[in-house]
Amino acid sequence: MFSNGDEIFKISRLTIVWLAGIFTIVWMVCWALGIALPMLLTQQLGDKAALTNEILRAATPVIAILVFIPINAMFMVLIERRALALWTVRKGPNRVGPDGNFQTAADAVKLLLKEDITPTGADAVMHTFAPILFFAPSVFGAVPLLAAVTNNHPLFRVLNLPTGIFFVLAAGALPVVALVMAGWASNNKYSLVGGLRSAAQAISYEIPLVLSLITVCLMAGTLDLVKITEQQAGGILNWNLLGGGALTGLNNALAGGGAKALATSYFMGPISYVCAGLLVISLIISFWLYLTGACAEINRIPFDLPEAESELVSGYNTEYSGMKFAIFFLAEFTNLFIVSSITTVMFLGGGDNPIPPYILNNIPGIPQMVAAIRDSYFCSTLHIINPETFFATLWVIAKVYGLVIFAVLIRGTLPRFRIDQLMAFGWKRLIPLSLIVFIIVVFAREFVICHG
Amino acid sequence: MANLISRAFGGLNEVRRGLATVFKHTFREPITKNYPDEMPDLAPHFRGRLALTVNPETGDHLCISCKQCERVCPDKCIEITSHKSPETNKLELIDFKIDHGLCMFCGLCTEVCPTLCIINTNDFEMADYSRESLIYDLKKLTLSQDESAFYFDRKEMPLPKPKPAKPAPAAAGAAPAAVAAKPAAVPSVAAPGADAKPETEAPEAKAPADSKTVEVKKPEVKAEVKEESKPEAKPEAKAETKTDEPKADEPKADEPKA
Amino acid sequence: MATEIQEIDLKTDEMIINMGPQHPATHGVLRLLLTLDGETVKHVEPVLGHLHRAQEWQGQNRTWFQYQALIDRVDYLSGMFTSWAMARSCEQIDGTVVPPRAEYLRVMVSEMNRITSHLLWLGTYLIDLGAMFGFPFYPFREREKLFDLFEEIAGQRMMFNYIRIGGVLRDPKPEWFDKLKRFLDEFPDRIDEYETIVTQNPIFLKRTKGVGILTQAVAKDYGVTGPCIRSSGIPLDLRRTKPYSVYPELKFDVITFDKEGDTWDRYMARILEMRQSIEIIRQCIDKLPSGDIMGKKQMAGMRIKAGEGFAAVESPRGILGCYVISGGGEKALRFRWRNPSFCNLSVLHELLKGCPLSDIMAIFGSIDVILPDVDR
Repeated sequence: MFSNGDEIFKISRLTIVWLAGIFTIVWMVCWALGIALPMLLTQQLGDKAALTNEILRAATPVIAILVFIPINAMFMVLIERRALALWTVRKGPNRVGPDGNFQTAADAVKLLLKEDITPTGADAVMHTFAPILFFAPSVFGAVPLLAAVTNNHPLFRVLNLPTGIFFVLAAGALPVVALVMAGWASNNKYSLVGGLRSAAQAISYEIPLVLSLITVCLMAGTLDLVKITEQQAGGILNWNLLGGGALTGLNNALAGGGAKALATSYFMGPISYVCAGLLVISLIISFWLYLTGACAEINRIPFDLPEAESELVSGYNTEYSGMKFAIFFLAEFTNLFIVSSITTVMFLGGGDNPIPPYILNNIPGIPQMVAAIRDSYFCSTLHIINPETFFATLWVIAKVYGLVIFAVLIRGTLPRFRIDQLMAFGWKRLIPLSLIVFIIVVFAREFVICHG
Repeated sequence: MANLISRAFGGLNEVRRGLATVFKHTFREPITKNYPDEMPDLAPHFRGRLALTVNPETGDHLCISCKQCERVCPDKCIEITSHKSPETNKLELIDFKIDHGLCMFCGLCTEVCPTLCIINTNDFEMADYSRESLIYDLKKLTLSQDESAFYFDRKEMPLPKPKPAKPAPAAAGAAPAAVAAKPAAVPSVAAPGADAKPETEAPEAKAPADSKTVEVKKPEVKAEVKEESKPEAKPEAKAETKTDEPKADEPKADEPKA
Repeated sequence: MATEIQEIDLKTDEMIINMGPQHPATHGVLRLLLTLDGETVKHVEPVLGHLHRAQEWQGQNRTWFQYQALIDRVDYLSGMFTSWAMARSCEQIDGTVVPPRAEYLRVMVSEMNRITSHLLWLGTYLIDLGAMFGFPFYPFREREKLFDLFEEIAGQRMMFNYIRIGGVLRDPKPEWFDKLKRFLDEFPDRIDEYETIVTQNPIFLKRTKGVGILTQAVAKDYGVTGPCIRSSGIPLDLRRTKPYSVYPELKFDVITFDKEGDTWDRYMARILEMRQSIEIIRQCIDKLPSGDIMGKKQMAGMRIKAGEGFAAVESPRGILGCYVISGGGEKALRFRWRNPSFCNLSVLHELLKGCPLSDIMAIFGSIDVILPDVDR
């Protein structure tokens, strides 16, 4: 059964090394810019440094994202290749550096040094701007997510928007324009077909995607990502995945509230219980709808028609090479990461621990460990990290990369839809289903006390 | 409606089964190898780079410049240069060129070679920087004694009889005279023994060289001639030593393998 | 109403696209000249000849012995069958009696080759359908195991040159049969795994069911053979309809489907053929007689008596025929190949008419065309 222990050990070692590296680097940048430097300036200059400090604090999250995206994309390409190798009984890249750790770094250097070609007859300006327009939304679209995934850390609170999820979705709808631009500007028929396909696909799948997220927002009663995360705190039963608060009563009962807590939440008796069940089912369907729509939005494999290799050579990016192609590539993986982050925040409780606190705090050793970390020199004096953020980040990383790996598994299994089937699936199946779910949720939530 | 729901669930279940089957492969050992680190174990008859063997025991070159391989090669990638030695009236190998850039490794040359001289080795790493360097000459093609022994053993080829110190390199001294005579010298040097010898010899020679080739006789005749010319005295005793020889060869051939 | 609006508002133009020869999915160097209306195919014209190597001409300019080594390249995925077709036609002229052991070995190795060919088809077909990364590697894994066995008996993994005029090249060792049996024992489980992933997958069903329907009339008109015609319900299998070699002594049925075959049926026919081949190889191992393996001496100046002969074998892609005229010398006077891929490819424009762009690869892949076999 477990004859592959060696490879599994290697791939997990690689993951740990990379993740530790990425997040240490990003956090050190944030700490230096947002905490250490302002502290130093205040010590030296006093009140005169106030403005500078404000600017520094505001700039920190953006710089953090700009540092994070390229190295994270490198890691994701590597882990995707290794995971696919694992599932195709191969070894994967293991030559460059120990365990093949630097393979993607070498690839990135190669891509940057390659000749940048603009085909004859192409619209050079649009050809150049398409990748930039494709990449930019994934940078500024990710901004509101930062506060949500770091348990509302003071450094990132600046960038939280009251309409967070709206902003993210708006940003996520922009890249379609870039793909059509790329397809049109390339002066290649395959690219053109790819670009038009991507436009049709993105417009169709935007609807179930947004409807499924609206369902969640309806349950939560807010568009604020941080609030949605905070509502879900306290164990897996509180997550939006399981009813969006419909099971909170059960959770409270288990936590010690007993029958009284049940009666408070499910005030209508049997009707409430039925509605709670309906809500759980609806939200699970919403979750699936979101995953499907997101796969289509970011052109992952069952829906990767815009770049269908066996039909359109490489679709919209056929004529791209070098740096421009690298940006397309980078943006694709960043989009995957952002989509996974949105799923984590909206459905999987953000940085919440799936084990409810009333169980966790009874495990001997855990509360003491948290206290020890809080009291240590790093946290109390240097403010390098606080334990809440630390654990929240750990859970976010586990959930997000778990979803990424799941996307890779899907990529390794499923064939591709045909374009008319894709459209039929989107319009005839997903959109009605998401509307039904939406209506069920609208009515069912009246009979249960939920987050919102 | 119910049909639609059941179909949707059925479809999702199939997708789940597919995903589970792919995920099961996590726990299977990779089938690929770290190639340059661990070499693949190739079958003995693998048709790799062409090479010329030498006699594993004596180190004599086995090529007799019969040019069979040159004739049979479908790609015409073999080029043999030889000349008729004025002293011995026998073909002598000067150069042997194989253009591995043309070769398609069909192995026909190895099938027709009467002395099992040209063989397909298990070497397949011939990448090079220019086409010229893919043309291998005699020096590059000829295997060492140990390598020849290895391949003779691995491919289970019958070992050639030891030749007199004759063909390409150190052709000198007493041997050429004996060789030049070939059929003619037999009666002259050792008239009584030589007549008896080929008859006892022939069946032995044929037995090991079964389906491959039957043409291993030529060097044998020379071998007899040489050995006879030295002791000269007792043909009967020699016949006994002769019969022992092939048996003694085989265990020897096994040694490098073990 | 809706159509009227379309006619008034949308003025569409036909687009001509060159698919190939450097397209990633045209299986080598096929060039398809597509006329598209939007994403719908109006007309398709395969342009052949990018891989023409004058195989027939070479046959007339090489000795029999030399040409044996070349014909594996005619259809590089099923070299055993091309060798076999040539060997049989030459034996027919020459009157050579092939020893029974050689005949059984021939059946064994060619059924093994049929499995490898279908495995490669399975992997590449899933690539054509877009399952690019996971599944296609599994069939290749099993294929490599069979190639290891081929390497032991023939010396190379794809260019075997194993079946010769009059017999086979080399008698396998007993250990070889053990390895083969071990492979045959584990292989059905692997096919089950493939089927778990692919056969009932909803996306796969959507892509293949009812797509590229090959009616019996069209199949007969264009001379389609092999799994393609059998999946359309015509039981044309040379191994049964015109038995050769030792096939009459082996137990197996022709795989046909009752209805007109679509792409999914062609997929299923190949999966079933792989399972059938396993049973045939098992029977061969059980019945394998001892004895000689070569009925004609293999040598450089080999000659075939004067005369002409035609022999056909059932290759993985259909009926593979070889027509030879010998003048009694070292070389043939005329060689002519009947290649299944070429005939199967000719039906393509019938199947593709009116289908969407994405289905081109689903349909083209399903008829399993090997370009060197088309162009020779």
